[in-house]
Amino acid sequence: MDSVSYTRFPTVRIRELKDDYLKFELRDTDTSIANALRRIMIAEVPTLAIDLVEIESNSSVLNDEFIAHRLGLIPLRSERAMEMRLSRDCDACDGDASCDYCSIEFTLNVKCTSDQTLDVTSHDLVSSDPSVVPVDNSFAQDISGFDAPEARGILIVKLRRGQELKLRAIARKGIGKDHAKWSPAATVAFQFEPEIHINEALMETLSLEEKKEWVDSCPTKVFEVDPQTQQVMVVDAEAYTYDEEILKKAEAMGKPGLVEIISREDSFIFTVESTGAVQSAQMFVNAIDILKSKLDAVRLSFDTEEADDQFGELGHHMRGGGISVILLRTSFNSVP
Amino acid sequence: MNAPDRYERFVVPEGMKKVSYERDQKIMNAATFTVQREDHTIGNVVRMQLHRDPSVLFAGYRLPHPLQYKLVIKIQTTSQSSPMQAYNLAVNDLDKELDHLKQVFQEEINQKQSEYY
Repeated sequence: MDSVSYTRFPTVRIRELKDDYLKFELRDTDTSIANALRRIMIAEVPTLAIDLVEIESNSSVLNDEFIAHRLGLIPLRSERAMEMRLSRDCDACDGDASCDYCSIEFTLNVKCTSDQTLDVTSHDLVSSDPSVVPVDNSFAQDISGFDAPEARGILIVKLRRGQELKLRAIARKGIGKDHAKWSPAATVAFQFEPEIHINEALMETLSLEEKKEWVDSCPTKVFEVDPQTQQVMVVDAEAYTYDEEILKKAEAMGKPGLVEIISREDSFIFTVESTGAVQSAQMFVNAIDILKSKLDAVRLSFDTEEADDQFGELGHHMRGGGISVILLRTSFNSVP
Repeated sequence: MNAPDRYERFVVPEGMKKVSYERDQKIMNAATFTVQREDHTIGNVVRMQLHRDPSVLFAGYRLPHPLQYKLVIKIQTTSQSSPMQAYNLAVNDLDKELDHLKQVFQEEINQKQSEYY
C-alpha cells in the first residue's frame, strides 16, 4: 500500500493586485501546473454572456446577426457564474434557457428621436438580475473630469433619426472552449524567472567604457553601471527577453562567459488580466477549483471497466493507432 | 461541413465512460488509459506527476488526433506497484498540491487586501 506521496508545496507572492490586473510569483511547482492553470483561465473558467437574441425591430444600419454577434461579445459581470447551472443541464426548464437558475434576460429598447446620432451602448441593456450587468469601467477611471471613452459604455450600434432597435436577449453560462465570448481573460501569461550570474573576475578586466557599451547592447534595461562603484549591477532581471544580445556582445568583445543567464524551471511570474467579467484574483481561484474538479472526474473509480482483453494492443494496432508518443521516458532509478 | 460541434470538446455523451483502461497484452504491469473529452491541460499535468513516482518506469500521453477529443496515457510500473495505483496516486497528489496552492493564494490575497485598509 502506498503511504508515500509526491506532492509539491507551491508558494505564492503577490506583487500587484488590482481589480482586473494581477501579478504574482509562483514558486516550487512544475511548468505543467502553471501551464494548466493558464489554459484553464483562458478557456475553462465559466462566465456569462448573451447567447440568444430575439429581435423585435431593427432599422439600424447593421443587420440582425451582426448586432446579435456584438451583443454576445459584451462582457457581463459573472460573479454568479460558478454557481449557476449550464443551460443544457438545467432540469427546471428543459434546457431551453427560460428559468432563473440557468439564464438571465436582457432587454434593449432604443429609438433615436433627435437630430444627433444616438449611440446605443451597453448602458442601454436592461438586466433582469441587478448583479449581472455589462462590465462598467467608469469607476476605475482616474478623475480626469471629461467624458472618457470607457465611461460611456461599450458601443453596440449608432442610430440616426427615426431608426429603432428593440430586442430581447438571454445570457447563459459557458466556457471559452465553446466560444471566445465566454473567456474571462484578457491576457494570461507567465514567464520563467531568470537567474543572472555575472562573472565578477572577468568583469573586472573591462574598462568603464567597455562596461557601458556592454550594458547598452541589451535592448531592454537589464543591467546598469553604478556610477559610484563603477560596477555592473542587475537592475531588472525580468526585463530580460532571452534575446542573447549581451551574450553575443560579450563574445564579440572577446570575453565569453562574462554573464550566465539561466531560467529557473520551477519559478514563474504570472500576469493575469481580466476583461472585468470576473476579478483577476477570483479567476485564478476558480481556475484552481476547475482543475481540481477535472482531476476528480478523471480519477479511476471501482466501476471503471477494463476494456475487453482480447482487443487490447492488437486491436489498437489494427485500428491504425499512431506511434508518436509525446515525451517517452524510461527510468530504472531506485527510490532516492 | 465535417467539423464537429464545439461542445464536443468537453461534453461526454450519454453512455460513454470518462476514463477506461486496457492492460497491455505483452508487457507486465503496463496499461493504457483513455480519457474522453480532455486535452493537454490535464494530460501534461498527470504525466509530469507520474514521472515523480519512482515505481513508474514509463509514463507518456498523447492526443491521437486533434479532432478526436480524447487523451491516451500509457503507464508502466515496476512490480511494486500497478499502473492503476500509480495513476490514482498521481491524481490524489495533484489534488493535495492544488489544495495547498489555493490555501496559500487566498492567504496572500487576504493579506494584500488588508494592507489597503
